[in-house]
Amino acid sequence: MADRYSFSLTTFSPSGKLVQIEYALNAVNQGVTSLGIKATNGIVLATEKKSSSPLIDPPSLSKVSLVTPNIGMVYSGMGPDYRVLVDKARKISHTGYKRIYNEYPPTRILVQDVARVMQEATQSGGVRPYGVSLLVAGWDDGIEPESTEDAATMSGDSETKKPTGKTGGILKGGPSLYQVDPSGSYFPWKATAIGKSATSAKTFLEKRYTEGLELEDAVHIALLTLKETIEGEMNGETVEIGIVGPPANHLLGYEGVEGAQGPRFRKLSPQEIEDYLTNL
Amino acid sequence: MLEAREFPPIFLCPVCKAPQLITSKYASTFLFIYQPPKSCQEVLLGITGKDFTLIAASKAAMRGATILKASDDKTRQLNKHTLMAFSGEAGDTVQFAEYIQANAQLYSMRNEADLSPSAMANFVRRELASSLRSRKPYMVNLLLGGVDPITDKPSLHWLDYLAALAPVPYAAHGYAQYYCLSILDKHHQPDIDLERGLELLRLCTDELKRRLPIDFKGVLVKVVTKDGIREIDYDDSKQVQSA
Amino acid sequence: MSSPFSINGGACVAMVGKDCVAIACDLRLGLQSLTVSNNFPKIFPYGDVYLGLTGLATDVATVSDLLRYKVNLYRLREERAISPQTLANLVSSSLYERRFGPFFVSPVIAGINHTTGKPFICGFDSIGCIDFAKDFIVSGTASDQLFGTCEGLWEPDLAPEDLFETISQALLNAVDRDALSGWGAHVYIIEKDKVTKRLLKGRQD
Repeated sequence: MADRYSFSLTTFSPSGKLVQIEYALNAVNQGVTSLGIKATNGIVLATEKKSSSPLIDPPSLSKVSLVTPNIGMVYSGMGPDYRVLVDKARKISHTGYKRIYNEYPPTRILVQDVARVMQEATQSGGVRPYGVSLLVAGWDDGIEPESTEDAATMSGDSETKKPTGKTGGILKGGPSLYQVDPSGSYFPWKATAIGKSATSAKTFLEKRYTEGLELEDAVHIALLTLKETIEGEMNGETVEIGIVGPPANHLLGYEGVEGAQGPRFRKLSPQEIEDYLTNL
Repeated sequence: MLEAREFPPIFLCPVCKAPQLITSKYASTFLFIYQPPKSCQEVLLGITGKDFTLIAASKAAMRGATILKASDDKTRQLNKHTLMAFSGEAGDTVQFAEYIQANAQLYSMRNEADLSPSAMANFVRRELASSLRSRKPYMVNLLLGGVDPITDKPSLHWLDYLAALAPVPYAAHGYAQYYCLSILDKHHQPDIDLERGLELLRLCTDELKRRLPIDFKGVLVKVVTKDGIREIDYDDSKQVQSA
Repeated sequence: MSSPFSINGGACVAMVGKDCVAIACDLRLGLQSLTVSNNFPKIFPYGDVYLGLTGLATDVATVSDLLRYKVNLYRLREERAISPQTLANLVSSSLYERRFGPFFVSPVIAGINHTTGKPFICGFDSIGCIDFAKDFIVSGTASDQLFGTCEGLWEPDLAPEDLFETISQALLNAVDRDALSGWGAHVYIIEKDKVTKRLLKGRQD
């Protein structure tokens, strides 16, 4: 009966702060920098893969993870906490969604589910908050932003099918990029960074980010930003990149099935990263 | 797709042939639902009119072949404008009715407002439906008569022991259904006044006296109007000639 | 008569037309041969997707209430109306949850997917197996008769008015040959931006 008396470790200080959450954020801010940039046709997630010893085998270490075929995430902060969250996110995307609706959750729904897990750790007894911030990138089917604008501009044409209020909200398809914090709060971003050099990286991104960015440019900017903050050498082994892009049908493992769509989220191979780096 | 399969035979009530047992074909545990054999001989009647709902319930309390009481009240007042009549398995009826009554009164006290008759009916249905799939379901047939306190519209809800709910202009339970519904089909109009309603009720009870094999000891009659619920003196003494 | 699916009686049918779908049900509620109510609709709207439920009346009410709850939560959570396909999978998983003590209902879904604009109908057995169909779906105690009338009357690409006539005739003539169904009907014609509900009187005997 160890759980008979278990109190929340996260309690208010007299000034109204939850210091445990602030400490968790400190852990995040000591973590390796990660960043995400949203483009018109996709999203890039990038991070530095830092090994504490030259004896570590880099390919076995992975910080960018696939959650659903169209959603991936990366973190700054504590690796073990992140792995737990990835497991929970993958599980809940099935138990709480795919097994019910036979489709994967939209990005915002998944982000809310993960954020709930993190929030519960700030109010439950006997646990500590997760020491990570996440960047979650995903692509949702639905009406993409461009076509919404089209419908708005062509509103004079009565023949055009325009999305009604019924198709509002997150029926809006296309790419989305979220940051989730240890407190359980989440924010949608066009581009952002978390971790040790988040502030400088964000300043850099503010300068380089433009509207109407293509995925290729976004990968380029991501590497440039990472270069500003990275301490060691930059190569395919030390940089990890995940992209949400066009359906990668070659990853399906089969072909010839009509309507079958490959995952939109995939990690770039070290070779692909090297190719981007040489063009930097 | 599941193929159509024969269900195991359902035991029918020896008197009214209502199904007594439903067996789930997929269930490792069986789902028993049955109506107690005698309950079909209890009379529950309901008639709505332009500004009232009449509820009549037989006064006989039966146990086996014995009539234990000839002045039984098979109704409970749920709130100022809703009356519930019940028949079915001996212990269950009053237990369930008073459970509903207590919850209706609790609601009225907490919210300083009464549930409307239709809200009440749906609440009762839900309670009965969740009991239906429990280990020991309540076996109760119900009529809910009421007048909406806001619109002053009279209403009548028919609810059987399987928790099938239907809003109806007139209704009956048990054996009385077979005699009274046809009479009401012919004579009932939605805009009748209370006097005409009582005439129709007389037609029904006379027919029941004429045709039911067991004496149900007359009926207790209550009427719901916008002013509340009151009992109506109803003369049961008249002998009805058999056909 | 020994099946819980045929205690209360009732019939439901859905059909696909050109850029439209239709769903219709009868209005009878009975106890075996006795008719208790002739105003018991078996079609329930969930946004602009429609669900028809035949079978045991108590489960018709329980399942329709349960799905209303689930669909309302879906709409609040996702800030969008549920699509017919998603509702179909929700119905399926909800019914299969009760695999070893099922609801005695045979659901039917009709709607138009608002992103693709394509008509969609499907039916289920009582434990949630989905039956996707390009033409029509029938359910209830008059399902045998409905198969006959639909097979005879349905044709591809019917315009909304013609689809209304087809589904109405299919239903009315089927329930006239079934003692446990009938007493009037509800017919919904669902188009992309319009839903028309009509009440058919039908035979009252």
